[in-house]
Amino acid sequence: MTAALEVRGLSAGYGPMQVVHDVSLTVGRGERVGLLGLNGHGKTTLLRAIVNLVGWRVGQVELHGRTLMGLATHAAASRGVVLIPQGDALFPGLTVRDNLDSGAYGSRSWHRRGQRRDRVLDIFPQLASRLDQPAGTLSGGERRMVSIGRGLMAEGDLYLVDEPSVGLAPILAVSMIQTLFSLELDGGGMLLAEQNRALIDGQIDRVLHLHGGRLTDGPEAADGKPGDAGGRGATVRA
Amino acid sequence: MSILVSTLNLAAIYSLVAIGISLTWAGLGFLNLAHGVIFTVAGYGAWWTAEHISTSPWIVVLAGIAVGAAAGAAVCLGVYLPLDGRRNWEIRTLTATLAISFLGANVLQEAFGPEPKQLPSLFGSGQFKIGDTVVTADKSGAIVTAVVVLAILVVGLLRSRVGLGIRVLTQNAEGAAIVGINRRRLAFAILAVSGALAGLASVLLAQVFYVSPDSGYVPLVTGLIVALLGGLGSIPGTIAAAVLVAAVEALTATYLGGQYVLMTMFLLIAVVLLIRPRGLGGLLESARA
Repeated sequence: MTAALEVRGLSAGYGPMQVVHDVSLTVGRGERVGLLGLNGHGKTTLLRAIVNLVGWRVGQVELHGRTLMGLATHAAASRGVVLIPQGDALFPGLTVRDNLDSGAYGSRSWHRRGQRRDRVLDIFPQLASRLDQPAGTLSGGERRMVSIGRGLMAEGDLYLVDEPSVGLAPILAVSMIQTLFSLELDGGGMLLAEQNRALIDGQIDRVLHLHGGRLTDGPEAADGKPGDAGGRGATVRA
Repeated sequence: MSILVSTLNLAAIYSLVAIGISLTWAGLGFLNLAHGVIFTVAGYGAWWTAEHISTSPWIVVLAGIAVGAAAGAAVCLGVYLPLDGRRNWEIRTLTATLAISFLGANVLQEAFGPEPKQLPSLFGSGQFKIGDTVVTADKSGAIVTAVVVLAILVVGLLRSRVGLGIRVLTQNAEGAAIVGINRRRLAFAILAVSGALAGLASVLLAQVFYVSPDSGYVPLVTGLIVALLGGLGSIPGTIAAAVLVAAVEALTATYLGGQYVLMTMFLLIAVVLLIRPRGLGGLLESARA
């Protein structure tokens, strides 16, 4: 069975600057993989490189066995790659409802957007009373909910989540991460970048470490033993 | 009262022209200086149709809209898509559309001669009175037509998938790509619809002014002013700005004289942008940033 995401020898950067160096990793179906690393060590660039949102990239990226190389960002999105970016990239002048619905823009989910919006509101009931309010008027925590909710509107095959805790009060950060990990993946995968290891400990299937744009777990981290130095695979399946 | 009617008539036409400029600018980052020539070409298309095919109002209006849409689509295929994403594409598309604007006026003059063309009357020559003001059929017809078309446009933007895509593009290009919106495909829709609206405006304005090779310049400049004043990408802002600009124009023309219109208009834009650098849109849509 092919993996949800397979990355081989991926390097990426902006102009003359190389940020990600020869990264190989896989995310299995239904698997949640953490990507740990300090600020500035390439987590964001790696996630963005998967959807071609960087200056340049070389290597191989496959989604369920089909290559994503040569595809523009919007085309990767319509194949089912959902990026929940750092900074949210919301549409501030549009209502919360429009922001959520935009996540279902892909033609296969558009007709089910009402149903999918209800599901998002089940997860984030706080947004229900905000539906007709411009997203730009929300608090930081609510914006994050809209951003994650927008990602959940698509019928995604792969979720790339970039530091969902950043900028949130600790208690909110914990509940946001718990929400993300309780989602049904339906055969898709999740790659979640985070710098606060305590937040994802105990909830993730496997952890990869990114340092200086390189994975320090070796080219393939899937065979990590529980409790070893890198801490990979140290946790129980959620 | 007659000032009010003139204001609404001008506002209707300016809204139609400016919404296209505004959506193109905000959604694609593309300042389309060929919008004026699209306006003129559509006017000639309607005139040619009236001369050679039929003078039925419906057919003349539809011809103007269709030629406008085709001209907008041609700008998309010929200028926007080939240059999009290249080095300095903003300034190159600006230069290219400016060139089309000058070239277009000269080609039209070469093809149809410098003398103005008159379109058949669409709304008849009737008139009615509100109080003691005479309202002519062409003015009220233009107002009603524009309001109906703008209403359809707004509903389309608010309700349809493509409409949501266009509104999303005006907000955040990266977010748009992340949710799977193909900007280049939507560019075609935006420019064709903008052209169609300009075509309709052209036919409506031709009820009062004749069609001539350079009749698109003033609508282009006014459209740019209205789009800026309204806050780029904001439909309610654009309509409000169109009403404001039209009121200033009608009042200036009535009380100061027509030669002062451009001056008061630029004064208006300077004052509004000093107070609201993002235009009126920010007032009406409580958050953008």
